Amino acid sequence: MAEIKPILLVEDNPKDVELTLAALEQSQLANEVIVVRDGAEALDFLYRRRAHESRNTGDPAVVLLDLKLPKVDGLEVLAQVKGDPNLRHTPVVMLTSSREESDLVRSYELGVNAFVVKPVGFREFFDAIQDLGVFWAVLNEPPPHNGLQ
Amino acid sequence: MNAHAVSPGDLSACEREPIHIPGSIQPHGVLLALDRSGLTVVHASENLERVLGCSAAAALGRMLEAVAPPLHAALAADLMVELRDDGARYLRTVTLPTPAGERAFDAVVHPSADLLVLELEEVAPGDSVSLDALYPAMRGFVEQLQSASGVEALCRLAAEDVRRITGFDRVLVYRFDEHWNGTVIAEDRNDVLPSYFDLRFPASDIPAQARELYRRNRLRIIPDADYAPVPVVPTLHPGTRQPLDLSYSVLRSVSPVHLEYMRNMGTMASMSISILREGALWGLISCHNRDARRVPLRVRNACDFLTQIFSLQLAARERAAEAEELMRLGSVRSQLLGFMAEEERFINGLIRHPAQLLDLAGADGAAIVSGERCWLLGSTPPEADVRRLYEWLSAHCGDDVFVTDALASLVPEAEAYGGRASGLLAIAISKVNPSYVLWFRPEVIHTVKWGGDPQKPVRESAGPPDAPVRLHPRKSFEIWKETVRGRSLPWKPAEIETVKDLRNAIVGIVLRRAEELAALSEELQRTNKELEAFSYSVSHDLRAPFRHIVGYSELLRKQEGGTLSERGRRYVETIIESAYTAGTLVDNLLSFSQMGRASLKPRPIDMNVLVAEVRRSFALDVKERRIDWRVGPLATVRADPVMLRLAVENLVSNALKYTRSRSEAVIEIGCDRRGDEVVFFVRDNGVGFDMAYVGKLFGVFQRLHRMEEFEGTGIGLANVRRIVERHGGRVWAEGAVEKGATFFFALPATGAH
Repeated sequence: MAEIKPILLVEDNPKDVELTLAALEQSQLANEVIVVRDGAEALDFLYRRRAHESRNTGDPAVVLLDLKLPKVDGLEVLAQVKGDPNLRHTPVVMLTSSREESDLVRSYELGVNAFVVKPVGFREFFDAIQDLGVFWAVLNEPPPHNGLQ
Repeated sequence: MNAHAVSPGDLSACEREPIHIPGSIQPHGVLLALDRSGLTVVHASENLERVLGCSAAAALGRMLEAVAPPLHAALAADLMVELRDDGARYLRTVTLPTPAGERAFDAVVHPSADLLVLELEEVAPGDSVSLDALYPAMRGFVEQLQSASGVEALCRLAAEDVRRITGFDRVLVYRFDEHWNGTVIAEDRNDVLPSYFDLRFPASDIPAQARELYRRNRLRIIPDADYAPVPVVPTLHPGTRQPLDLSYSVLRSVSPVHLEYMRNMGTMASMSISILREGALWGLISCHNRDARRVPLRVRNACDFLTQIFSLQLAARERAAEAEELMRLGSVRSQLLGFMAEEERFINGLIRHPAQLLDLAGADGAAIVSGERCWLLGSTPPEADVRRLYEWLSAHCGDDVFVTDALASLVPEAEAYGGRASGLLAIAISKVNPSYVLWFRPEVIHTVKWGGDPQKPVRESAGPPDAPVRLHPRKSFEIWKETVRGRSLPWKPAEIETVKDLRNAIVGIVLRRAEELAALSEELQRTNKELEAFSYSVSHDLRAPFRHIVGYSELLRKQEGGTLSERGRRYVETIIESAYTAGTLVDNLLSFSQMGRASLKPRPIDMNVLVAEVRRSFALDVKERRIDWRVGPLATVRADPVMLRLAVENLVSNALKYTRSRSEAVIEIGCDRRGDEVVFFVRDNGVGFDMAYVGKLFGVFQRLHRMEEFEGTGIGLANVRRIVERHGGRVWAEGAVEKGATFFFALPATGAH
């Protein structure tokens, strides 16, 4: 098995960060969870820029990306990732409070791998996060060459 | 009644009688028609000898100088002056040695074709009136004219003064309407002759050629209706073979028909003076005397002059009156507009102020018809007739103004209600939704007020009492009644203008309302956008805190649950439950608003498949319950799949929820084609509901059960209704307490099979 890749959580709300981390913790994944707090920092991480220039963690197994983010918003991050030949294989899961249809449609247009509306119930939330983590971080080995499926 | 009034009922030839070439004159003077160059006599009246001592036959072909040397001497210079072709001109009074002795004659001349017509009218002894005598009367008249308040006062004044100057028994001012029917609008008289005030006469009483003659020659007189006409010889001009045109003659003989008419009226002498307004015949000043009566030329000229001044004043007064009326109507119109502005529905501004609405057009009745609505004000035909008129107008009249004073001539059935509506004035006030305001006027006969008694007309001194009366004012009235049958008083230009203005104003209001509506809809779109933005932010910002509360409480329970007291754990449970409910509420609200805003993407949906999917989605929740599903074959409909699925989910979820207490739930889903819609139903054997509350079932946040009995936010059925209605369908429900419920939704059958 290859080196365990980290999970990149892009979330500006500290409470959501804490709850998400708690959920991921409970799923007992071995993956490291990297937390960045806005879209710009997420891109920095992905492109190894600025603060993340010399990161020694590998590229993420999955990016859990909040839709509403300071500086560069989630859709913009998604667009850059999916528009970059080197990054577009990285699975991106949109995490959002929004049920707005336009967000959903736009996300799929940009090539999002999954779209999860954060459920109000914590249990459902835990379930969703754990499923995501397990699915993307453990079960899904990115294919060596081409796209995901 | 006037100089040439005739009645065509008896003598239809009158219309064609060439009254300008009668070939004869009245006997109170003589006539000579002279060649212009040498003043040779071309025509002469046969009574020439009585004045000049030389017979007509003897005078013909000879020069005036030879025929009547004193006359020639007195007038030669005047006769050589170039005459304008616009009427007879008084030259001078000459005294001639007649066979009966010296006599004074007023000499009058006018051109007729290439001839000069010289008329000598005998001045009766004692008739000589000097200008000095006439002057004060005329000055008085002019002074009074200035102070007369209106057209009617002016006319009365004219009648009084003409009678004072001329001494006739009765002087009338007679006015033509636009169809040349006449009304006596002013009168001055003594007791010798009866009143004709307000009497009506048909146009045929004064035929067209007479009116034309009156326009050209302003004054006619018949001193004695019993006169014997004096022929003018020869009948035709020897050179041109043309009869002598006597249009401007002061002695011209009149039609025997007219003389008969005069005799029947009991008037032996008459005189009439034309009232011209802007060159057109406006009316007549008509004078009558029971006995024969001469009016000297000078007096007649004074009357003519007076009438001309009167005509000028009249034109000014009428214009002023028109302007005044226009202003008055304008203020009524403004009043109505004000009323309309105050009303939510502007039409009420008209309906609630019938007095002003009728006044605006001088109408007795009005109707406002707009689509299915019809309001009647004042004296109108019955509603059914007004409706038919409205349809007729919609088909035949444009979108401007419609005017008639003879409605039955256009709409034959209107004859039945002519007493209320012979005149119609209508305006179209909306193009989109054909709407009209109609004003009605009754048949004019119904409005005539009689000054005298028309049924007791003049027979006195009308010849032998047993003589057949062919021509008579009474007959005139009968004929007039026929002429104006089915007619109303004409709509005045000022009235038509005013209602036009009203129409434009109303159309303006309608347009402004339309603009306001457009602005409102723009505003609505804007607020809709705002609402969208708001719900977006709610979905992000309001949901999150509830999620956090639930999340942290769960963590708390999980990690610290062991150390909490029983009560503490219950508190945590309640926090979780409440926050969860609040969050769900937000979710449901959002989806409800989304149902209203999201665009429909209809496609054919096999309801068998959709229902099966929905059932599957609930399978996990009900795996421990006994449920008897009875799903019939379902139709395919055209709808938005996401929305329709949500609706069915809601109904199925309700059915499951409210049958929870049943040992075995029976849930029936079926469909039925009814006319142009497909009706689906979801029936359960659950707790049901009281039909008394059926109206509340589909409202937002309406719940019929207590929270602890059945959870829920009260949005599910509201969502179902919204979804179904957006598809052009409808929802309803039937139920009874503890006897189950059936929810129906019908969708248009378009595309269903």
